[in-house]
Amino acid sequence: MTDLIKEQKLLENVTNPFKIKGRVIRNRRVEVFCDKETVSSVLLYAKTQLGYIHLAHMTCIDWIDENKFELVYTIWSPVEKVHLFVKTKIDRENPEMENIDRIWDQANTYEREMREMFGIEFPGLKGERDFALEDWEEIPPMRKDFDTHNYAQQTYFNRPGREDAKDVRETLVERSGTEVPDFAKKYSRER
Amino acid sequence: MINDKDSQKIVDYIQNFSRKHSLFVMAYGTGCGAIEIPATMTSRYDAERFGIRGAATPRQADVLLITGYLATKTLKRVIRVYEQMQEPKYVIGFGSCTINGGMYYDSYNTINALEQYIPVDVYINGCMPRPESVISGFIKLQELIQQGKADNGKRYRENLEWYRTNQKKIIKNWKMPDYNW
Amino acid sequence: MEDLGLKIFGAILTTIMAFAVGMTYGGIVRKLTARVQNRFGPPFYQNFLDLVKLQSKKTNIAHGFMGHTAPVWIIIASITVLMFIPILNGNLWFPNLNFHGDLIFILYMMVFGSLGMALGAGQTGNPNSAIGVTRGLSMMVGYEIPFVLALVALMVQYHTTSIQDLMQIQHESGTWLIFSNPFAFLAALFASLGMFRYSPFDIVGAPAELASGPMSEFGGKYLGTMMTGGSIFSFIKLTLYVDLFLGGAGNPDHIGIWATLAGIGVLLIKTFTLYMVPVFYGWVSPRYRTEQAIRYFWGWPTALGIIGLIWAVY
Repeated sequence: MTDLIKEQKLLENVTNPFKIKGRVIRNRRVEVFCDKETVSSVLLYAKTQLGYIHLAHMTCIDWIDENKFELVYTIWSPVEKVHLFVKTKIDRENPEMENIDRIWDQANTYEREMREMFGIEFPGLKGERDFALEDWEEIPPMRKDFDTHNYAQQTYFNRPGREDAKDVRETLVERSGTEVPDFAKKYSRER
Repeated sequence: MINDKDSQKIVDYIQNFSRKHSLFVMAYGTGCGAIEIPATMTSRYDAERFGIRGAATPRQADVLLITGYLATKTLKRVIRVYEQMQEPKYVIGFGSCTINGGMYYDSYNTINALEQYIPVDVYINGCMPRPESVISGFIKLQELIQQGKADNGKRYRENLEWYRTNQKKIIKNWKMPDYNW
Repeated sequence: MEDLGLKIFGAILTTIMAFAVGMTYGGIVRKLTARVQNRFGPPFYQNFLDLVKLQSKKTNIAHGFMGHTAPVWIIIASITVLMFIPILNGNLWFPNLNFHGDLIFILYMMVFGSLGMALGAGQTGNPNSAIGVTRGLSMMVGYEIPFVLALVALMVQYHTTSIQDLMQIQHESGTWLIFSNPFAFLAALFASLGMFRYSPFDIVGAPAELASGPMSEFGGKYLGTMMTGGSIFSFIKLTLYVDLFLGGAGNPDHIGIWATLAGIGVLLIKTFTLYMVPVFYGWVSPRYRTEQAIRYFWGWPTALGIIGLIWAVY
């Protein structure tokens, strides 16, 4: 078990100037929680002062019970080899977030995806509104209140026998009332 | 003397025989199943011995292989490719995803049953089907062609309205993006 | 009048033979390629099945006049050139319209089909066609130079521009021109690698990057007609090389039926051997880029052609 020296040092380096909270998850994983407004300052500080020059990933989590979206920025330092997660929560109604593609160009792709999949607005974001989907008219599909099963059943032509995630063999057995053949039993889920 | 009907039969036989033994497959991989095609074509399974070979453009192709899941965005391109192909043309649905949606049965963006949008001659099930089953699917298609039952283009022409209605249900805008060559 | 009827019959016979031989060679190459790649491969008559299928396909595309006639240009060019190539030396069954200067005429006519094809492909409006045509014409600039140098070397050496005369010279002296001017033969052989468009020089119809290039908008009957023209063309090129360098086939002193058949047998052996050169080279080579191909042709092949020319003069 390592004693997490560089992770603790990084946590202090990030949290102290901004007066934000954070914790060390395990070795090489550190996370900090900050406000919507401080995110870009933290990222810029980490990039310019601490050497966290690589934006590895940006993602969004829909906490529908809290009525919040959580945005996670994963940045990485090739020198220290530590992942730093910068997390922030924003309102679920009319979500809007600061555009950080002036810090990292590749953020543009992630932000376009989040705009399409969660409906988060990034003012001044370049690029077309259609990213992966074309002519989407429903609410953004990755939100928790979008019922994808129901949508798929209504929009696409469901074939009978494939209404749920059940093993097709079991559905067939239920319908026909016959036994599962031995070779099929070997692979079925109940075992 | 042979009458007209018999001579037509002979012509049909020759045409069907050559169609059956010369299937140009459109090289358009739509889903993950496209990875099985190189294995089917190369030395171990060698589909070329049945006269199956790749064609680079829809104008030259006979068979459209729908290899795996079809996103609605891809479906638009698939329909475009399908309509550019010249008759007689055949469609093979490849993998569970084209039959009932497979593991994407509840996805918001992939279709569930291919034959609602374009006519299908042969389905090959499996996730993924191995090259053996791909070849057996092709042989089934060859049997259909020899019997004159593979009338994909004719079915599409005759039921065009029905297919268009289904297609329009999920494809709202038929305009293709400008690709700026 | 009897003579004319025989000539027309001979012309038809020549065309059919060129077509059958070209298609069969293509099928044999497919089979051999498959065997080299440890596959079973299609039967040798696969190309004929493909052709029947392509001709029985329906066509409902219109790309304008040149688009419609592009395959016809290829057929016209190939049959016209075929009429000027002596298949067998001095044989009545395979007459040809030779005249003094037909070597130069053929040099021009061989480009005719490609140009018609280029115009047709241009009218289809497919971007891949346009790129393919550009590549094809660039590569033609590359391989025409050693080819023309080799032919000019022969013309200078023997003071004639007639293929029939060159064949007669080889027949009378008993030496093939490959021995009397080996450098010209080598230059022409390198040029043939580009002419047959096998692997290192298949940049025109590169299926992976260009979607078969100029042909990308042509399917069905168009493609079938192009295939026919291409097969006749490959027979033409092989026969021309055999006539010029490998002593031709047939004997003008014996024109009986058995002598004719023996002559055809000799021709098939020689052409097939020659055909294997670009094919073998193609099996072991990946694809060149356009500028690499041109640099290849303007390098050693051109140097060999110039050496052959100097050899011919002195």
